[in-house]
Amino acid sequence: MHHLVRCTGLRAAGSLNASRRSAEFSTASIARSQKESILDIEKLLSRPTWSVSSLLPPKDSASDAPEVTSKQLHHLLRLSALPPPKDQQEEAKMLSTLSSQLHFVKEIQKVDTAGIEPLRSLRDETMQGEKEAELGMEAMKDALAQEEVRGKHHKRIRRRRDHTAAKQEEDWDVLGTAQRKVGRYFVVEGGKDK
Amino acid sequence: MDELDTPVFPAPKALLMQVPCLNLRKAPANGVAAASTVPTSEPNSNVSAFDIAVPGSLPVFQPAVVLPALRAAIVLGCHIEPVSYFDRKHYFYHDQPAGYQITQYYHPFARDGLVTLTSDDGLEAGQEVEVYIKQVQLEQDTARSQEEDEHTTLIDFNRCGQALVEIISLPNLHSPRDAAAYVRKVQSLLYAVDAVTTGMEHGGLRADVNVSVRRRDGDSDRSFEYSGVSGLGRRTEIKNLSTLKGIEDAIKAERDRQIRLLESGGVVQPETRGWSLTHPHETRRLRGKEGEVDYRYLPDADIPPLSFDLDLISHVARSMPPTPAVLVRHLVQHYGLSVKDARILESLDDGERLIYFQEVVAELLSLHDYEVNEINVGKIAVNWVLFEVGSLFSTDESTWSRDKIPAKSLAEIIHQLRKNAITGASAKLILRLIFDGDSRRVSEIIRQEKLMYVGMSPETYETIAKDIMQNHPQEVKDIVEKGKIGKLKFLMGQMMRHPRRSEMSAPEAEKALRRLLLGEKS
Repeated sequence: MHHLVRCTGLRAAGSLNASRRSAEFSTASIARSQKESILDIEKLLSRPTWSVSSLLPPKDSASDAPEVTSKQLHHLLRLSALPPPKDQQEEAKMLSTLSSQLHFVKEIQKVDTAGIEPLRSLRDETMQGEKEAELGMEAMKDALAQEEVRGKHHKRIRRRRDHTAAKQEEDWDVLGTAQRKVGRYFVVEGGKDK
Repeated sequence: MDELDTPVFPAPKALLMQVPCLNLRKAPANGVAAASTVPTSEPNSNVSAFDIAVPGSLPVFQPAVVLPALRAAIVLGCHIEPVSYFDRKHYFYHDQPAGYQITQYYHPFARDGLVTLTSDDGLEAGQEVEVYIKQVQLEQDTARSQEEDEHTTLIDFNRCGQALVEIISLPNLHSPRDAAAYVRKVQSLLYAVDAVTTGMEHGGLRADVNVSVRRRDGDSDRSFEYSGVSGLGRRTEIKNLSTLKGIEDAIKAERDRQIRLLESGGVVQPETRGWSLTHPHETRRLRGKEGEVDYRYLPDADIPPLSFDLDLISHVARSMPPTPAVLVRHLVQHYGLSVKDARILESLDDGERLIYFQEVVAELLSLHDYEVNEINVGKIAVNWVLFEVGSLFSTDESTWSRDKIPAKSLAEIIHQLRKNAITGASAKLILRLIFDGDSRRVSEIIRQEKLMYVGMSPETYETIAKDIMQNHPQEVKDIVEKGKIGKLKFLMGQMMRHPRRSEMSAPEAEKALRRLLLGEKS
């Protein structure tokens, strides 16, 4: 949500993408703030102007999300290693919640994201930042130096096996958290399929 | 003739191979150095927090892995993507504590490669198979598990998190033999560019094979499309094959199983199957295959995008070592070797034997006072390098070392032999002495051990021959009276045991005997 608040000390937050459409809210806010020169922030923030429930199916009416079958539910639970519902009542509740969630997702999908790169993680995506992240000759200098060229008549590459780089990390008790151990192995109960 | 030619179902295959390079993400407590890349034998002795998914731990990308990965992709003819991304593939299994594997599903770092197989790679003469590489991607390895009994599995996390390069081919392989040939070729290419450090037997390379069948003519279910290749039957996956023979046998077993199933009116289920050496004629179901969507791929937020400076890519591409095929061709064209000898020479001792051979030839050329070139001496040198020197090392069961018989010394021995200054037997003797540690120069050994070949006159040969004949009257009788020419060899042997044998040439000795015994003129 982008609230444009014209007030001393506050600047618009977030990346304002021209193509993101949250038009109704920003124009309303601008209109309001143009009328008032001093804002009561506390008053402004005391009443929510939007709720996520606007994206959920209205109560007492079916969502327009596709049906989730019991079979699908069980499949999803199995994939996520979650316990199956203990009775019909719990299953019905899960299905209903899932249905609302799917309705929500469909509402989110209504946002036009044409031409926008999806966000993968929060990183420095400035030109400078991306350039610095590039792996080039300098970054690979040490690795390249490990390659040994053998033979005068043609080049053959072998990396030197550097055994000295071995114990630079602190030793820690790897098996410390294991409930069961056999020698230096972790143990899993059950055969191959578990 | 491969059985596949007669019955009706050829089997298109796609191969997936995983090749460990270096540790990809081992983030130790101090966050600076990487954990050891040396394969350790103690289980769970080289594990970082993220490998066993300790809450709060994060993966750290180790750039060093990029070098072998790039070389692998380039030698397979791939295009390198300047920017590639990492994704999470979610599934639960005891060898993957985080519940997901970090891989490159949507944007791998290399695509669209090609490996061409010809008769050089074990195919029939004139046959050529093009195997397209869909993509090459970086991903994490899982832990190693060992089934103790049906209730207990032991797990070692040493290799968990280690970087793998996964090579995915298109279903262009149509016979078990071609599939094995492809894997062998990829292995040798990767070895040539130092992208694989150990062979298949030691886990250096694993293959997962997808197998499907379809009727050559007539109808069968051909409605599946994999990696853009359509008209295929449903495939199953055979996981973790670690020998070339295993690949062939597993494919045959699965192909036969699918054919039997389809012929009896059944349907091939999407499954993951296993194969083991103890039951080579069958594959067994491991688990149902989840659809790709069940892995719920999503971008990994912890590992930043992998982006390459174009200078790095071109440097690596320009500094690629020659492939085995290029080396073999060079040996054949430049040194006049037979393809067979060239292949053997190229493959021995991690390329060291080849280098040694080239040094010996270079030395030989410098010793000659008249015009010779590499081709003149190449064939002689290769026999000595491969067979004479080779057998010394193999009977001694010692590993190759270029210092045991310095190239200069071998060249000298060959040179003296070619000049007829020593006999073949003497040459071998000198070789043996040096191998055993004699530090004298070759010329000194020849002089001090009196190995100079002074051509003996025919009369001297005959004197010695008569001596031998006198000591073995029965054999002489057999030859002269009963025509048992075979006994000549025995007498020859006796002659070559004579104290003056180092001065004798075997062909001349034989001629002398034949003159005396058979009246031959020579």
